[in-house]
Amino acid sequence: MSTDVILTSDIHEQMAVHQPKQRGKAGGFLRRTNVLTGSALGIVLSAVTYAIGSKMVPWGTQNADYSQVGLNALVGATYVAWVIGFMIGIGAFAGPVRWMLGHDITHDDSEYMAGKGQGKWKYWKYTTDHKVVGLQYLVMALTLLGFGGFFAMLIRTELGVTWAEVFDPNFYNSLIGTHGIVMIIAMIIVVAGPLGNFIMPLMIGARDMAFPRLNALSFWLLFAAVPPLLSNLLLGGIRDGWTVYQPLGAQAPVGMIGYQICIITFAFSTGIAGVNLITTIVTMRARGMTWNRVPIFVIGILAAAIMGLVWFPMYQYSQVLAFSDKVVGSSFFIPQEGGSVWLYENLFWLLGHPEVYVIVVPATAALLELMVVFLRKPLFSYKVAVAGFAGIVGLSSVVWVHHMYMTGWAPSAGYPFMLSTELISIPFGFLVLVMLGTLWRGKVWTRLPMMTVYAVLWCKIIGGITGVYLSDVPVDQYMHGSMFVVAHFHFMLMGAGLFGAMGAIAYWFPKMTGKMLHHRLGMVGFWVSFFAFQVTFGSMFVAGLQGQPRRVLQFDNAFEISNWISTIGAYLIGVGMLIFLYAIITSWRSGTIAPANPWGAKTLEWQTQTPVPLENFPVLPVVTSDPYGYGVPDPYDSIELKLTDENLKVGA
Amino acid sequence: MSTTTASSTQQIPRSPTTGELVTTTARRNRLGIWLCIVSDATGTVALLISYVYLWSLNVNSAWAPPKDSFAPDLPFWLIVAGIVLAAATMWWGVRGMAKGHRGQLILASALSSIIVLVTFVGQIVQLSTFPFAITEGAYASATFWLAMATAIHLSVVLFLTLAIFNRTRAGLFTQSNHSHVRLVAMWMTWVCVSALLGAVVTTTMKVSPNTNSPTFGTFSQSSNK
Repeated sequence: MSTDVILTSDIHEQMAVHQPKQRGKAGGFLRRTNVLTGSALGIVLSAVTYAIGSKMVPWGTQNADYSQVGLNALVGATYVAWVIGFMIGIGAFAGPVRWMLGHDITHDDSEYMAGKGQGKWKYWKYTTDHKVVGLQYLVMALTLLGFGGFFAMLIRTELGVTWAEVFDPNFYNSLIGTHGIVMIIAMIIVVAGPLGNFIMPLMIGARDMAFPRLNALSFWLLFAAVPPLLSNLLLGGIRDGWTVYQPLGAQAPVGMIGYQICIITFAFSTGIAGVNLITTIVTMRARGMTWNRVPIFVIGILAAAIMGLVWFPMYQYSQVLAFSDKVVGSSFFIPQEGGSVWLYENLFWLLGHPEVYVIVVPATAALLELMVVFLRKPLFSYKVAVAGFAGIVGLSSVVWVHHMYMTGWAPSAGYPFMLSTELISIPFGFLVLVMLGTLWRGKVWTRLPMMTVYAVLWCKIIGGITGVYLSDVPVDQYMHGSMFVVAHFHFMLMGAGLFGAMGAIAYWFPKMTGKMLHHRLGMVGFWVSFFAFQVTFGSMFVAGLQGQPRRVLQFDNAFEISNWISTIGAYLIGVGMLIFLYAIITSWRSGTIAPANPWGAKTLEWQTQTPVPLENFPVLPVVTSDPYGYGVPDPYDSIELKLTDENLKVGA
Repeated sequence: MSTTTASSTQQIPRSPTTGELVTTTARRNRLGIWLCIVSDATGTVALLISYVYLWSLNVNSAWAPPKDSFAPDLPFWLIVAGIVLAAATMWWGVRGMAKGHRGQLILASALSSIIVLVTFVGQIVQLSTFPFAITEGAYASATFWLAMATAIHLSVVLFLTLAIFNRTRAGLFTQSNHSHVRLVAMWMTWVCVSALLGAVVTTTMKVSPNTNSPTFGTFSQSSNK
C-alpha cells in the first residue's frame, strides 16, 4: 500500500469537494418511490391506456395473415404503458431529469441512493449499491428458475402421462414456449447478474460499478419485463417455442405481445448491464491489477458482457419488427407482403446462438475461479483459458446458421457454418483442458462448490460431443427437431450452466449473505439434481435417437418407456432443486455466521470484511501478484524472514 | 480507479458524488458512451440488414409499394443535413468551452437544440406524408422503421442538447469540467452516421434488382398479391 493514496470515503471530509446545492432531504424524489409505487403507477397507466385505447381501436381490423391488428395494438399499448409507468414509479427517470434541470446529486444524495441507512427496505427501491443490485438479481434469478422449473414439471407430467391428455394442446405448447424463454432469461442472469454485480467489483478492488444508476436501471427493467412475459399464459400463450418463428408468431394470440415486450425490455436491461460491466472491468481495476492479474472469473464476465452487448440488439430488433408486424401490420416477416421468415430467423439466431455462450461462459469462469481454491494449486495455464474465452467471443458470431440447416435458407452456407461450429469446440476444449490440467494431481477439498466442477465437466463433455454431432449437416438432417436436440441443449444450458451456477452461488454465498450455506443440505440437493438430470436427459437422448419429435404432445407408443423415465427423473430434479433452495433460504435466514474468508482464497473479494461495507474496502487495495499463487511460496515471506534475520543481527 | 495522489491533482475538480477527479470519471464515461454507440449500431445494422435483405429478395414481388410510389429522396437528405449541422454546431461549442468560452457553448447548444427540434419535426412530417402506409409492402415497412429510428434518435438528442443548454447556462460546465458536452457531441456524431446510412439505403436501393422473385409462404399458394 503506497502512502499517498487517498480514500474516497475520506475525500469529502479531508478535502473541500465542491457540492451541488442540496435540495430538500437527501435522495429527493427517490425517497418516495419503491416497487409499490412503481407497480401502482404501472397498473394505473396500463389500465388508463387500455380504457382509452379500447374506445379508439378499430376493432376487427385484420392483418394480411388474418391476425387482429386492432386488438394487438391495444394490448401492445397496454404493455408498453405498464413498462413506462413502472419505470416512472420506481424513480428511474429521476436522475436524467435532475441532470437535465441542472439539479446534480450531492454526495449525501448518492449515499442515500446507495441504500445507506435504509435497512432491508433498500432491496425494494431504486438502490444503486452494486451489492444490493447483486442480491436483487439473485432473488430474481431464483424466482424465474422456480417458474421455469414449475413449467418443466407440467410439461413432463403431460409427456409422462402417456395414457391421457392432461392439458389442452395449445396450453401445452404455450407451456413449452414459456418454460423455454423464462429459463433462458434466468440462465442469462443467474451468474452474470448476482455475481457480476456483487462479486466482480469486489474482485477488481472497486468501490462500486462504473455507473451505479444504470446498474439499478438494468435490474428494474428486467423486473418490469417479467409480468408481460408471464401474463402471456392468460392471453392465449406463446405456442411456437421460445424461438417464436414467423409467421407463427404473427398469427399467435395476443399473449405473443407479452413475449415481445419482455424481450425488447430485457434487451435494454442486458445492453445497459453490458456497458456497465465492461466499463467497470476496463477502467476500475485496482492499482497493480494488470490484465494478466485479472481473476479469470472477471475475464469470463467480460467475455459474456461483450457478446451480450454486441449481439443482443439483433434479437431485440427481431422482436421490435415482429411487434410492428403484429401491432401495426407492417410486413417484415409476412411473405404475402414481401417479408421473409428467413430474415427473422437470421436476426434471431445472430443472438440466439451467442446467447448459449453468454450463459455458459460466466458459469465456466466461476468454476475455474473456485477450483483453484479447493485444489490449492495455481490455475493451469491462465493464458490458455483467456485464449479460450477470446476464441469463443470471436467465433460465437459466425456459427448461427447451424440452427437453420433445415430451413432451406442458403444451403451452400451449411458447410462453412458446419466448419465454424466445429471450430468453436476448440476454444471450448481449451477451457476443459484448463479444468483438467488444474485438477491433475490436485488435493481436493471436497466442498459443494468443488463437486459442481466434476458435474459441469461431465455435462460439458456430453453436451459438447453431441453438439459436434448436431453441427454436422448430414446428422442434423436426421436429428433436427427431435428430442435429441432437446437433451443436447439441456446438457449445455442446465448441465454446464445451471450446475455451474449452483457451484458459483455456493462458493460466494458466504460473502453475499454473511452466512455459510448449509453444506449437507446443499450437497444432497445438488447430487439428487445431478443424478436425476442424467436420468431425465439420458433417456431423452434415447427417445430422440428413436425419432421422437420435440414440441409434440402425442407420440408413438414406442417412446413411452423413455418418457416415463424422463418424467420420473424430472420430478427428482424438482425434489433436488427444492432441497437446494431450502438450503439457501434456511442458511440465509439462520445459517452459521460466515467469516470474511472461509475458503482461504486469495482474490480481493475475500480480503474485505463480511458483511461488505458500503464502500467495499476501508482502504483501496493494491495488487502485487496474480491471484492464483496457491502452493507457491509467498515472495514476501522470504523478505520478511530476511528482515527478521537482519533485525535479529542488528539486535545482536 | 478511485485513488489518486494528493500532490499532482489539486487543480482538477472532483466528482461531488465519488470524490474522484473528473478526468477519471470522464475517461470512464467516454468508454461508456462508446459502448452505447456499439450497441446502438448493432440495432441500426439490424434495420439496415432488414431493408437490404428484403430489397434483394423481393419476396412474392411485393417489395415495392403500390404503383411504385417510393418515398422522395430530398427529405431523407434534408434530415441528414439537419443532424450534421446540429452535431457540427455542438462540436463548435465544445471547442469553445475547451478554451473557456462559456457563451460559445450556450449559443451552440441553443442553436443545436433548435436545429434538432426542426429536424425532428421534419422527420415527423416525413413519416406522416410518405406516399404509402406502413402496411403496404416490405419497402414501406423497412423505410418507415429506418425513419422511425431516426426520429427516436432525434428525440434523445433533443433531450441531451436541451440539457446541455440548461446546464451551461447554470454554470455547471467549466473549461476543466465539460466532459458531458463532449459525450453528447460524440453521440450526435453517431446519430449523423446512423441517419446517413439510412438515407443511403433508402435513396439508392428502391427498385429491387430481383425480377425473378421467389414465391412462397402465401396462404392461398398464389404467386402474387
